[in-house]
Amino acid sequence: MSIIKTEELAVGYGDKKVVENINIEALKGQFICLLGPNGSGKSTILRSLCGFLAPVGGKIFLKTRDISQIKTNTLAETMAVVLTDRLSPGLMTGFDIAALGRYPHTGFFGKLSQEDIEKTWEALHLVNAQDIAHRFFNELSDGQKQKLLLARALVQEPEVIILDEPTTHLDVRHRMEVMNILNTLTKEKGITVILSLHEIDLALKSCDIAILIKNNKILDYGPPEDIIQEDTMTNLFDIRSAHYNEFLGTVELTNDFPPSTFVVAGGGTGTRIFRALTKKGYGVATGILHENDVDYYIAKTIGTPLVSEMPFRDIREHTVKVAQKQIEQLERVVDTAFPIGSLNKQNIDLILYAVSIGKPVYSLRSRQECEDVYGEQAANVQTFENMNEMLQSFSSPEALTSPAVKATVGV
Amino acid sequence: MDIRNETDTKNKSFKNFSIFLILLLLLIVTFFLNVGIGSVNIRVAEIIQIIFQLPTENEVHEAITNKIRLPRTIAAMIGGAALAISGLLLQVFFRNPIAGPFVLGISSGATLAVGFISLAGFTFGLGVISPFLIFIAAFVGAVSVMILVLLLAAKVRNITTLLVIGLMVGYLTSAVTSFLMAFAEKEHVHGFVMWSLGSYSGFTWDQVIVLAIIGLPMLFATFLISKPLNAFLLGEDYAKSMGVPTKLFRYVIVILASILAAVITAFTGPVAFIGMAVPHIVRTVFQTSDNKILIPSAILLGAILTSLCDLLARTLYSPIELPISAVTAFFGAPIVIYLLLKRRNTL
Repeated sequence: MSIIKTEELAVGYGDKKVVENINIEALKGQFICLLGPNGSGKSTILRSLCGFLAPVGGKIFLKTRDISQIKTNTLAETMAVVLTDRLSPGLMTGFDIAALGRYPHTGFFGKLSQEDIEKTWEALHLVNAQDIAHRFFNELSDGQKQKLLLARALVQEPEVIILDEPTTHLDVRHRMEVMNILNTLTKEKGITVILSLHEIDLALKSCDIAILIKNNKILDYGPPEDIIQEDTMTNLFDIRSAHYNEFLGTVELTNDFPPSTFVVAGGGTGTRIFRALTKKGYGVATGILHENDVDYYIAKTIGTPLVSEMPFRDIREHTVKVAQKQIEQLERVVDTAFPIGSLNKQNIDLILYAVSIGKPVYSLRSRQECEDVYGEQAANVQTFENMNEMLQSFSSPEALTSPAVKATVGV
Repeated sequence: MDIRNETDTKNKSFKNFSIFLILLLLLIVTFFLNVGIGSVNIRVAEIIQIIFQLPTENEVHEAITNKIRLPRTIAAMIGGAALAISGLLLQVFFRNPIAGPFVLGISSGATLAVGFISLAGFTFGLGVISPFLIFIAAFVGAVSVMILVLLLAAKVRNITTLLVIGLMVGYLTSAVTSFLMAFAEKEHVHGFVMWSLGSYSGFTWDQVIVLAIIGLPMLFATFLISKPLNAFLLGEDYAKSMGVPTKLFRYVIVILASILAAVITAFTGPVAFIGMAVPHIVRTVFQTSDNKILIPSAILLGAILTSLCDLLARTLYSPIELPISAVTAFFGAPIVIYLLLKRRNTL
């Protein structure tokens, strides 16, 4: 069932159009997310859908009725909102705030019936805010306030809730909590949720329909699985210094420093090291990674030179040669303490090769493990208990006891 | 549901009810103090006799009570309630705790109009400056400013902008008043300044009736809008999303607040402080911003404080009568500061 539908909608202020040609439809129980950079017109669209702003052109239909023809109090029975306004309601408790949501359902003086009170508590429990219900709203944290405002919207018993950036200012816990609650509402209560978000990963993982907005235009519209690709995100947010991985749903900072460190990784052990090296400004190359390894995805997103092998295949002689070539050109080799198995045992040979040509090798394995893995060559491998210690020794290589001659860097 | 919450709610309403009873009792006590104390003291029993028109021995007491103190006391009570409610409405409207009845330029509008009459001598052909003429002028002045603000309100989206515009209109009219004062004769200026500091002296029954006919329905109307007023605590957008016709409601609030302030100001001159302070005090005492509770209690406390201050104004340095604004601010400001410091919540 169509809850909200727009036809050639243009939104804006006065005569000034902010976004045009909006043709979207929200069905019952759908979770719809407007994604886009700041200032792209997300809020303007939402404010128009709420009825706060008259459309500059086109029409908005709420269950087949033109929204501009619906009286505010009738609209309130179908639609609730959660806004970004900073509230300062004086001496109102959390319960008072949530109970205000009963507004369209109470009588002339707004006296709460037993049923109203029960429904308010029910909503407070649903958003897990029952313990803050008796505290003054002004004393609460942003996350707690947001939960109460969500409860207030629920108490209104709407068929659609419109939220303007509900996760802004929230910590990770409250962000996840709010998104989970919204998800539950759509799936279990059949409430349609329309919201704007900044967080790509949150949107991808929770919404049914994503609407991408940029430069006052609807860029794309559909299930996020279909429309969100690596370059979509990069284009949408004009991200130059970072990349988005659509499989993992993460954003990684781009590493475009000249490579100086070859990281022998695998099984996810490289991810933390790639990120740390990028953060500290070290250029990275990596290998040999199977193309189904999480390290492979991260390295690719970060944009480092990378030697890979097809999934589940033994590493071929040719691939090893390519990796050896790269190592020869770089300053140092890092062993991430990757797990060793029959498919990637060549990576151990790669490290032994690095030792043999005199490259400093830094390992995160324990000394004992190094001796087990590298045998007598273990003496030429520097071991570290943690990553930071290792990174520090990069900047002061004289502390290293390696017999290696410092290789000239060729990029 | 939670038992703890049920008992909490019950305790709270019991507490509120008790405070409300205390206020009611205080109002009655204040009433008798105001009627009883003065250059001649009159006992409570005698006051009751006079009010119920039972035969009394002392005709002077009867005359003082009926002609002077009763109308004055009732006027102070209605006036105090009107200013308190006007202040409460505007504090909710502007979501600003320092708003008061006069932020929209109402008092300065009234003052300017009275200035035109008593300083510049424009009597509009009526010849003498009568109290009634002053009332008409002040009321017209206040309402004109209100209409100006309403016209601007239609153009201004942001409520804070409207607040600033109200203040500017106030400054503008005050400036014109200052011009008038500069060019006026000295004895006129003294009378005018005393008027602008407020006084309840010389209230007649006719005036009380006018005050009651205009003021009481407005107070009652405020009760009727306590529900949308509560929704307004979350701001205009939220109020609208809950079904409040906000455009219309803006006008309702401004008109109610302005007329309440204008009607009493026209009789007494601007009385400072009550309109701003009483809403603060009741919020702090009741620990809530729920207007269903605040409206009746602000009416009671406004009446109590104003009549007490009027009592002090006329008895402290009798026979000299102090301007009531001096008394309200002198005793009221420390109370508000104390209450604000005592509690941990912001308004």
